[in-house]
Amino acid sequence: MTTTDIKTNKNYIRVSDIIDSLTINPSSDAVSVLEEIGTNSSIDEVREMTARALVKRNEVSSLSVVISNKGKGINDMSTVVAMSTINSLLSLEDKEIAMTVLENTISGEGVEEDVRENARSVKALMALS
Amino acid sequence: MSTVDRVSQWSHRIFNTTANEQNVRRESVSNPFAKSNFQKNILTEDVFESTKKKGVSFTGLNNGITQGTKRIYSTFVGSINDFGKRFYEGIESIKEFCRGIKNGIVSAYNKIQEIGNTEVHIGEGIKHGYESIKNVLSYDVTSIFNTRGKNVAKMAKMDPHTEVKPMLIDSIEALASDMAKISEAA
Repeated sequence: MTTTDIKTNKNYIRVSDIIDSLTINPSSDAVSVLEEIGTNSSIDEVREMTARALVKRNEVSSLSVVISNKGKGINDMSTVVAMSTINSLLSLEDKEIAMTVLENTISGEGVEEDVRENARSVKALMALS
Repeated sequence: MSTVDRVSQWSHRIFNTTANEQNVRRESVSNPFAKSNFQKNILTEDVFESTKKKGVSFTGLNNGITQGTKRIYSTFVGSINDFGKRFYEGIESIKEFCRGIKNGIVSAYNKIQEIGNTEVHIGEGIKHGYESIKNVLSYDVTSIFNTRGKNVAKMAKMDPHTEVKPMLIDSIEALASDMAKISEAA
């Protein structure tokens, strides 16, 4: 199934609408739902949408999910998901929170080296952008 | 020589021209009969031959009317008769011409009416088509985006864990099922 085909799928639109609603939902529980369901989905497109929604919320909790967790967001095994998340981070108007989360990830204790390396690279990109 | 005799001689020359005289006559500009063709228009002399030959009327003038005089009169009357015929034909042709113009105008008017009506129909068709397209587009654009926007806004007010999470799980499962079916079909 191509990207164009899946985007016209009724259930894909439904998932997209639900993720959008969680993006603008003011409750902090929305982040946990996105992390629990969205980022752990077996479907790349769902993970991609979830990661972009978490970045769009532009909160410490939501950005930590896509920056500091192994296998999620910028550390996703899917290159498409990882690059899409990085692109969303670079597109943020207010990058201050994202930079703080990146710095915390880079200097954080108990963070895997792969995650730290990715955070360092993304921080460099964001500094240049 | 009396005037009647002179005219009689003239008429004799006119109606009994030799080849030479015809040439001369064509070259002559001053001759009033030069460009006229009376030969086909004259009445027969017998027109004036009364069955009551011994009648009175034409005999009293200069010892009666000679044959030449009769020719002149017959020519004159024939000309008048022919003039009337030509006049009648002219009137007829004018009438025919006017009738043609009238018919042309009427047919043109009918054509214009027909075209006008057709244009009205086309315009209405375009208008209806435009309205239909507008309705469809407005329905699609406004309804889809507004409906989706309304749904998203409505879900954004729901509790994430108790209300949105089950919907998200179900939707993701349904999407996975659709993708699996499509992959199997492929």
